Amino acid sequence: MSKILKKIKKINPLAVIVFICSIFWLMPLILIFINSFKPYNDMLQHFLALPKSWSLDMYIETWTKFNFPMLIKNTLLYTVCTVLMIVLLAPMAAYKLARTKSKMSGICFVLIIMPMMVPFQSYMITLTRLVANVNLTGTKMGQILVSIGLCMPLAVYMIHGFVKNVPLELEECACIDGASKIRTYFSIVLPLLKPILTTVVVLDTLATWNDIITNQLIVGGNARAMNIQNALYMQFSAQTADWEHALPGIVMSMIPSLIFFVAMQKHIVGGVTAGAVKG
Amino acid sequence: MAKKTLAILLSAVMATSMMTACGGSDTKSDEGTTDNTATEDTATEDTATEDAADEGTSSGEEVVLKVFDAHAYGLDEYAEMVEAFEKDHPGVKIEVQHAANDSATLLQSRVNSGDIPDVFDVESGTSAKKYYEYAYDWTDDTDVTSLFNEDALETGRDDDGKIKSLPWTYENMGILYNRDCFDKAGITELPTTMDELEEACKKFEAAGITAFAMPAKETWVLGQLATHFMMDKSLDATGTVEAIKSGELTFENMPNWNNLFRMLDLAIEYGPDKPLEIDWETSENMLANGEAAMIHMGDWCQSTLDSFNPDANIGFLPCPVGDSADDCTLLSNCNWTYIVNKDSENLDLAKEYLTYILTSDMGQYWMCEGVGAVPGVKTDKEVQGKLANDAKTYIAEGKTNGWIHTIAPTGYGDTCGPYLQAYMTGDMSAEEVTQCFQEFWSAG
Amino acid sequence: MKNKKIKEFLLFALFVFPAVIFVLFATDIPFVMNLYYSVFDWNGVGREMTFVGLDNFVKIFTNDSLFWKGVKFTLKFAVFYVIIVNAISLVVALVMSKEKKSSSVGRAFYYIPYIISLTAISLIWKFIFGPGFEALYNITGWEFFNWSWVGTPKLAFWVVVIMAVWQNVGFYMVNYIAGIIAVPKELIEAAKIDGANAFQVFRKITVPLIMPAVSICMLTSLTFAFKLFDIIMVFTKGGPANSTVSVAYNIYKEAFVNSKYGLATAKSLVFVVFVLIVTAIQLKVTKSKEVEA
Repeated sequence: MSKILKKIKKINPLAVIVFICSIFWLMPLILIFINSFKPYNDMLQHFLALPKSWSLDMYIETWTKFNFPMLIKNTLLYTVCTVLMIVLLAPMAAYKLARTKSKMSGICFVLIIMPMMVPFQSYMITLTRLVANVNLTGTKMGQILVSIGLCMPLAVYMIHGFVKNVPLELEECACIDGASKIRTYFSIVLPLLKPILTTVVVLDTLATWNDIITNQLIVGGNARAMNIQNALYMQFSAQTADWEHALPGIVMSMIPSLIFFVAMQKHIVGGVTAGAVKG
Repeated sequence: MAKKTLAILLSAVMATSMMTACGGSDTKSDEGTTDNTATEDTATEDTATEDAADEGTSSGEEVVLKVFDAHAYGLDEYAEMVEAFEKDHPGVKIEVQHAANDSATLLQSRVNSGDIPDVFDVESGTSAKKYYEYAYDWTDDTDVTSLFNEDALETGRDDDGKIKSLPWTYENMGILYNRDCFDKAGITELPTTMDELEEACKKFEAAGITAFAMPAKETWVLGQLATHFMMDKSLDATGTVEAIKSGELTFENMPNWNNLFRMLDLAIEYGPDKPLEIDWETSENMLANGEAAMIHMGDWCQSTLDSFNPDANIGFLPCPVGDSADDCTLLSNCNWTYIVNKDSENLDLAKEYLTYILTSDMGQYWMCEGVGAVPGVKTDKEVQGKLANDAKTYIAEGKTNGWIHTIAPTGYGDTCGPYLQAYMTGDMSAEEVTQCFQEFWSAG
Repeated sequence: MKNKKIKEFLLFALFVFPAVIFVLFATDIPFVMNLYYSVFDWNGVGREMTFVGLDNFVKIFTNDSLFWKGVKFTLKFAVFYVIIVNAISLVVALVMSKEKKSSSVGRAFYYIPYIISLTAISLIWKFIFGPGFEALYNITGWEFFNWSWVGTPKLAFWVVVIMAVWQNVGFYMVNYIAGIIAVPKELIEAAKIDGANAFQVFRKITVPLIMPAVSICMLTSLTFAFKLFDIIMVFTKGGPANSTVSVAYNIYKEAFVNSKYGLATAKSLVFVVFVLIVTAIQLKVTKSKEVEA
């Protein structure tokens, strides 16, 4: 008896609250899921109720109607390319910027992080014009290049903040060993950045996966280059909403990102311990 | 270790860039003529476009026609129509962007980037005029223009009377009412004056039915509602707008203007508990399910209403605005209008396509059955939409007027709608709102 | 000597320039190109533009109450959002940073809203504030649930704050977890042996060591708040009665609905200058804190 009491006493009340509240964050997933099985009218009339039947018909219809295999292929292509380029370029830039103290370095840093302060809406027209000038409108290449550029600022900024805390001695001793600077970076610095890189990867993967606006602007009418969210969003206009297809589509598009997050979060937590050299 | 990481990263990047290169090549470049699926015969490329229009695609080139469509109505029928067109025109590919909520934004950026669609549609009136400098002039194509109703064509004329765009369908707006609710509340005569409307509201309350489910969350609906109370029937829409702009007609002097506030008061008093949370979706749903007796909308919501409740018995009620039945307004207009890009590289094909979707049997099928609206083109086809048919009787009696909000100064709904919301929340008085309306119209 | 400098520069260029080029292409250059329009009166579509000098700027500062209302809203939002979202995600991160099965599930829960597309989120919230609150009101009888949250200007502000916080907690949580986990366990153990309680450990050891994570989260939440757009666009649409018009939304409407593209670019320039000042101040403050630690 006293053992149980002791155990209860040991439970942190804060943890209990945090865990109970997490349901509030989970709820939309449940709501989207149950409503994806309902006809439009039922959804509006009884949003909180369980569906009358768990028929997968709408899922299958959505899958074929929107040509999901092609959408997944496109979205995957954009996401993989963007994230790979970010993982390659962002830490390089962030590392060098954090280690170099010069005017040049300062200017480059400002150039890279300035977009974080600027609302996208204020320059999207000129962006489309620029993309058109280099003949990339409607192409997958254009979409990828733009989305790399849009993801870069936050990635560099986050890694930059992390690099500042990686002790210098590590690199220096590597240099004395005669390792070239580039090799030092790849063999010593990059592995140390693994925790923050994991965060960046998760972040940018989801951002690219869920992107609507750049796809609309850059790829525009080219149906063959559309991504999932844009294709689903096209079914909505000011006075029509095709939730019957949109919700199953959203559920299907979420499954990969959810699996991805669950797989990656182990590395966020586990990876950091491996990289913790500070103590 | 280092080399391995580097090698993996580099090969990954190479692989992806190759993937994108391949991916990029099956999409069309911006030029509009190059086609990469048959890159071998580049020599015929320049002539291909002209030939394509006469179906003389001897070279096997694929011509892509870029189409921008600003709404998502009757999408299945639209796809059928495109398929039929492509079948008749071998080697022609129609690429449609259905542009959802922010159609104006997307069209604007496409036009700006030089990627102007060959055929696109915009709201007629003020918004369409912005694009007329890019528009093909249809005035001399009488074989096409003669197919349309004269009043529908009017919506596509520029200031010089040239026909710069072709009308889509008629859309009507006013109050939509659920006949079953009226029966249940024992209302046999449709209200035609403000007093009768208030009487009706009281009867609904007694019968336990929400009288009004005004979608007050939508500023555009409030903006549209207000135009009923501006209308001077002797001048019709164009005349009224001109009179307001020139200052001849002020909001203070409009005979029915103050009834707008009475209408909003009714919508609050006999409406749902949280009036400003009602969006178009909720309001249409309440109407279709008989939870609310009246909303302000137009026949564009037919398909949504059908999907909620196919048996709903819904009709048009001309909006009561004053003390006399003659003042009631039902506003009718062809409010979407199609433009052909005059600089299109496939101009003839673009013209043919537009003529096809607006006038052919397939096109009429799309408009009459898919969308359920009365086309701007002369037609003998049966129109599916109940609302559109209901409106027909009023149109035939000559009781309708044009739309004011589409020819109002730019940004009318987005600017003036919030003022009406402020009135509904009690943050602004009727006088202040009137003042703001006046300022907006005088400035525009 | 010179040779070494060139070599160093080349190395710098190799590391930094690729990233810079991408950013220049996607944002910096378009933004600067855009500024050109700020001295024109242009509808955003036509080929004709009229040069108006500084008229657009004059208009912003003398006759544009909606823009300043937007600035006020955005600032107020920024203050509440930055404080609330950071406080909640830090607490969540503290609990969830343990390597346990339960925390791994909990982390995924908190991250979910960040994964869902915004169209679906707006649908969900519409129903939470509608039938959801109605059901809760019927159960609890608390007047709180009977208020018209979305339909009342004062409450709509909080709707936006709640939605933004709810949606983004997952992102900051991940950042804080990364910071917390990096705190050496031995230090905490040592402090505990010395008799420090949980709060003291947090105050004296965890907080100083996670300052880098804090400054990342502060800056990202601040910039998010200043750029607030999506939630307004899909959910409140600036209403009711313009009570939730953010600056980015106001700029967007000016450019694409009111067809005053020149005025809109002038506004974005004014706003960016303003944001740069605020961010610079904020960076200075957190920097000094980091040094202290």
